[in-house]
Amino acid sequence: MMKFLRLSLAVTIDSFFESSRNRFFTIFSVFACAAIYASLLAGIMAVDQEARVITDFGLALIELVTLAYTLFYSSSVLLREAETKTIYLVFSRPVPRGVYLAGKLAGIMLTAAVMLAGMGIIHAALLALRGFRPPQFYVWALAGSFLKLAVITAIAFLVSLFSTSAVSTMVISGILWTAGHFASEVRFMTEHSTGAAAWALRPALWLIPNFQLFNARDAAGAIGVLPAAAFTAAAAWTLAAYLCSLWLISRKEF
Amino acid sequence: MLRRSGPYLVAAALLAWCAGGALSGASYVSRFPPPSEIHVPAQGAAGDMFALAFGARRLFADLWFIRLMQYYGTSEFCAKQLTEEDYERCEEGMYFGKGKYLEFFSRARHVMELDPGFASAGLYAATSLAFNMERPEEAEELLRYAIKYSPREWKYLTLLAAIGYSKAQDPAAVASAITPLLGDPDCPVMVKQLAAFLNKKVGNYPAAAAIYADIAATSRDAAYVANARRELKKISKRISHR
Amino acid sequence: MNESAVSFSAVEKTYKRPRLLGARYHTAIKDLSFEIPRGEVTGLLGLNGAGKTTIMKLLTGLLFPTAGSVKVFGSAPTGRSAKARIGFLPELPYFPPQIKPCDALAYYGRLSGLSGPGLSLAVENAVERTGLGPHTDKRVAEFSKGMLQRLGLAQALLHDPELLVLDEPVSGLDPLAIHDIRGLLAGIHDGGRTIFLSSHSISEVEKLCDRVLIIVKGRLAVTVNRSGWESRPGGLEAIFVEAVR
Repeated sequence: MMKFLRLSLAVTIDSFFESSRNRFFTIFSVFACAAIYASLLAGIMAVDQEARVITDFGLALIELVTLAYTLFYSSSVLLREAETKTIYLVFSRPVPRGVYLAGKLAGIMLTAAVMLAGMGIIHAALLALRGFRPPQFYVWALAGSFLKLAVITAIAFLVSLFSTSAVSTMVISGILWTAGHFASEVRFMTEHSTGAAAWALRPALWLIPNFQLFNARDAAGAIGVLPAAAFTAAAAWTLAAYLCSLWLISRKEF
Repeated sequence: MLRRSGPYLVAAALLAWCAGGALSGASYVSRFPPPSEIHVPAQGAAGDMFALAFGARRLFADLWFIRLMQYYGTSEFCAKQLTEEDYERCEEGMYFGKGKYLEFFSRARHVMELDPGFASAGLYAATSLAFNMERPEEAEELLRYAIKYSPREWKYLTLLAAIGYSKAQDPAAVASAITPLLGDPDCPVMVKQLAAFLNKKVGNYPAAAAIYADIAATSRDAAYVANARRELKKISKRISHR
Repeated sequence: MNESAVSFSAVEKTYKRPRLLGARYHTAIKDLSFEIPRGEVTGLLGLNGAGKTTIMKLLTGLLFPTAGSVKVFGSAPTGRSAKARIGFLPELPYFPPQIKPCDALAYYGRLSGLSGPGLSLAVENAVERTGLGPHTDKRVAEFSKGMLQRLGLAQALLHDPELLVLDEPVSGLDPLAIHDIRGLLAGIHDGGRTIFLSSHSISEVEKLCDRVLIIVKGRLAVTVNRSGWESRPGGLEAIFVEAVR
């Protein structure tokens, strides 16, 4: 067990450094900082609601930029490693495929966590510069974003294993991301539909992960903190995607 | 061995996914109005789709609120073709807030549809409707809608009570009713200004002065700050002449 | 038990290419049987598309046989015990360009189960044996083709494997680099290790190998050992040309 953990840790660290060395990481980070700074302009337009607007803009941008990068990277990493034969050097070694997959996933999640934390610190500094303190739900909002990203990254990995291109993986994952935010609407439509429509919609309640569960940002003021069920559900969905990915990669030939 | 355990992996994955779905279904309660209640004002549908698709309701509520303030801040009179004299008066802000603002209620309600917990926006809109535009029925309807989806928000109930007193033509009671709102960080400066005005109207100058001083110290709206400073000078002259 | 290093028994590999309607099947290897004894240097010759890389991947567990069985030191090649005893150099190995050679080797060393001082020593030895010592401060992006090939060989040697599987080890190298690698492989062989290499270069295979397998359209056409081609007029080239025509 310890041996597997060590192997997984080695892959995690390598995956993290590889993703942060990627030139697109720098591009996304610079864009994020510029966009967060631009949120100051929107805040000024809101006058006495400046604190709220800067906070909301900043948190939304932080999540979107981190999503864009992690989706971009996770959609292409396995495909790229297969194309460049890097994966030959890994799987010709006594590295269980599940351990490798877990390490890669953990590496991308670590990258997402570092991006969220780094941009969060910059954003909080900008708030402080304008004389505001980050609101109480701030850390929970970032934590909720991380949980969403963990689930969608695991799903992107899964899709990349049977998809033919990185672009199609990103598109499918992006569709699932948006669908995940419509969970309340889907539930409403299911409850108010009858017959075949209701039967068609019902599986969607189970198949589509409910990202609104992690949306501490939008729920601020009502609950402000993430329920324990959010962490457990994120773990369950991530584990499910990982197990399916494990099944696919165990059958995959290189 | 891993290749042979495929069916078990898939079964375990399905089980885990369903567990996630079950947990989510059991614990998630939407605090937002259902889609059937979202009435989108002109030129807003695409933005609302983005708001829902990216889980950014609060952000789009902010944007709609900014648009509401810009809408209300633009004099309808000044939007038309003007004489040179009227143009100068518009530039000086003489006609600020003048107009019927027929879309005000629908825009304000849309902010509440997106984020019923946006107390500042709710209070701002209801105060504008009830006390500036003299449309208390719309203000009450807006607050009742917000309370339906944000039942713990005491500030809406407080303002509803104040509007009731206003309809009864009791400015002292209105000033007293909205006093608890003034210390809240969500309290819009317009409500503070209203409270100060009402206190001044009933002769409670110390209370009015305290509120104007708070506005001057904390508001980021230059117009309100300037007005507060002017009023403070007037009040201090009045007090010193006594 | 003096088991073979590698054993192929009636192995078949058919690739399935999905199409819009149905699938297309291509049999790369058909009814292939051979053994590689321990301590031998065996070469694999064949034209492009003959199935050489398929064979390499089958015995490193990257591909799974459609029929038959593949054994490496008596175990399945997908098993951890077999993989721990193999060092694999694929054709044209790729390394992240921003990385330094020692960092890359340290990573692959960890994946091979090495750690601590043992890992550092293994990296040092691999660097020294492959002649990468003067280049450790450079990033991979600055490496020439020959240096990349040496780095690929270094990662294959890290964990001191009993079986080296080399796919086109001298492909695209200059004569000096070829000479160095030939010397390195000879030294590894002298240490009792088994080497299995594929190549387009008949002359290199002649110099290095004890025995050569010639693959034609996925089937083992000819097996010839050193004495066989040395005694034949025209040498290994003549045998190869006759086999593929």
